[in-house]
Amino acid sequence: MADATMEGLSDALLAQLAARARPDGSALARPGESESSVEATAWYALALRLAGSAPGATVAAHAAGEALARLQAKDGRVSVSPLNPGAYSPTSIAVLAWHDRPGLATARRRAVDFLLAQRGDHFPRSPASPLAMDTELAGWPWIERTFSWAEPTALALLALDAAGLGEHPRAREGRRLLLDRQIDSGGWNYGNARVFGSELRPTPESTGLVLAALAGRVAEREVSASLAYLDRCAPPLRSPLALGWTLLAWSVWRGQAASFAAQAIGETLARESRYGSYETADLALLAVAAQAPRGLLAALRESH
Amino acid sequence: MSRDWLVTRRPSRREILAAGAVFTTGVLAGCRRDLRPRVCVARAASYAVDLEPILRAALAEVGVTRSAVAGKRILLKPNLVETATGAGHINTHPEVVRATAKALRALGAGEVLVGEGPGHRRDTILVLEESGLAQVLVDEKLRFVDLNRQRGFAVANAGRRSGLVRLTLPVVLAEVDWIVSLAKLKTHHWAGATLAMKNLFGLMPGSFYGWPKNVLHYAGLQESILDINATVRPQLAIVDGIVGMEGDGPILGTPKTAGVLVVGTSLPAVDASAARVMGLDPAHIRYLAEAAGWLGPIADEAIHQVGENLADVRTPFQLVEKIPAHKALLDQESGAGY
Repeated sequence: MADATMEGLSDALLAQLAARARPDGSALARPGESESSVEATAWYALALRLAGSAPGATVAAHAAGEALARLQAKDGRVSVSPLNPGAYSPTSIAVLAWHDRPGLATARRRAVDFLLAQRGDHFPRSPASPLAMDTELAGWPWIERTFSWAEPTALALLALDAAGLGEHPRAREGRRLLLDRQIDSGGWNYGNARVFGSELRPTPESTGLVLAALAGRVAEREVSASLAYLDRCAPPLRSPLALGWTLLAWSVWRGQAASFAAQAIGETLARESRYGSYETADLALLAVAAQAPRGLLAALRESH
Repeated sequence: MSRDWLVTRRPSRREILAAGAVFTTGVLAGCRRDLRPRVCVARAASYAVDLEPILRAALAEVGVTRSAVAGKRILLKPNLVETATGAGHINTHPEVVRATAKALRALGAGEVLVGEGPGHRRDTILVLEESGLAQVLVDEKLRFVDLNRQRGFAVANAGRRSGLVRLTLPVVLAEVDWIVSLAKLKTHHWAGATLAMKNLFGLMPGSFYGWPKNVLHYAGLQESILDINATVRPQLAIVDGIVGMEGDGPILGTPKTAGVLVVGTSLPAVDASAARVMGLDPAHIRYLAEAAGWLGPIADEAIHQVGENLADVRTPFQLVEKIPAHKALLDQESGAGY
């Protein structure tokens, strides 16, 4: 990484994450928790996956990847909790965390197969519907057997792209869905652009994630309004989730402004005491953003 | 494999309901002859006035006394769906959260904390900042819990109006004695109106129900409102109607000043009175009609109204003809006198 300040922040973030890890390689959702969290473990494993040759990172990355693999169900899914197997969104993060790890190739293939087999609920469009979206398109839902939404679809697209399936028919349909859900004046929210004839509002966390997933797969003119939206709202962002995805989107669409990223991440970390503790998953996202100056997928390809 | 992933303590429904039962007993022990639930409509001209004494008086009016509150751990659940510049009327105003916390602390609450699982936003921290609630949390040293991302525990669905056999609740609900629905007075384009009962959607973790809480929509919006209320049974409701939302609520509507706080211990009764403030007949709001006689009364004569006279504070909220949930209310209420 060219920017020394960013390098220091990455190290600090990884050290902070390490303090939330358990001996078995899993991670706590927050400091002081008594139980590991699947989401935290998945993001922690991904952050370590990008850490490359950082001191101790290889061993920790291996342990985290293995811990995540132990949480995988027989059908390939990785769910938030065994209580709710339908909440399978960590599966996409697991695919990314297991990228190019020979010992975890089988787990990754099963996770990819699971994602390909999952389709969010979809149904014929009704002229009477107050929703303006194309309900025939299928992406991925947050929860099994419900409707497709923007963010889980974007996460699945990143996973499929990393697995070399960026042109799979499911991926192409997922991108059509995201473009269909784009708000006319720019940006995405959870995945509904218009209802009862009125335009809904975008959010930076959703917009950053979707733009990160569409990078390299759609022309800039198709998302120019959304990029402009993100440019407008990014400067004051100091929350890890929105900032992390904004930086990952900018890194591929704009070329990351390293000085802004370092300053924004530093200020975001400084504000943690205001909220107690950040979620481990969100801190790990920041660590991923700090380590991916050319985007998440490029960072995965470049790290070994 | 470690079993740590499983939630080890799953409180029984009896445990969850215990606090409510104790509270009800406490209120009844006050020997009020009129056993109808009391709902207080208190005037509050703006958020700039000192709301704490207004709320303390209202709490006293509805029987929330020091003996009922002392030592309790209390979760305040404001309505924070999403945020937008210049659209503060979407959410429960931070000053209402502050005043409620101060009032309950003054009554001896052991701990007051704040929790919400925003329905449309995953970045809860950003929602706290943009809504202005973050500063109140800091000022008042209130712990905040992101309900969307808490661990969950499963309980039997006590309502069974939807097809959901179990509900997954955030673990903080098993750790508190009271839950306070701190709702906003708004129209709602699917439910007609969103008040204290609908506000409980935000208790349900997005991790298990999605963003939006799509599992609940699939199970039936009105049915899920009833199920959550029947299962969780909050002890208190305060509806922020100082500035509410009319038109295309709960997100895109316009501000509507009603200048009231509606307070009570029976959520259906509070919602019924709040609906009347909006000029709506609660019997025509489906989930309220179905809650009547089960979760609490909604009929005017079944509620002991205190504070302001409802007729004096009635402020008709505009509905939108093209929205089916509103059209039904408009059709049914033409000539109804509400």
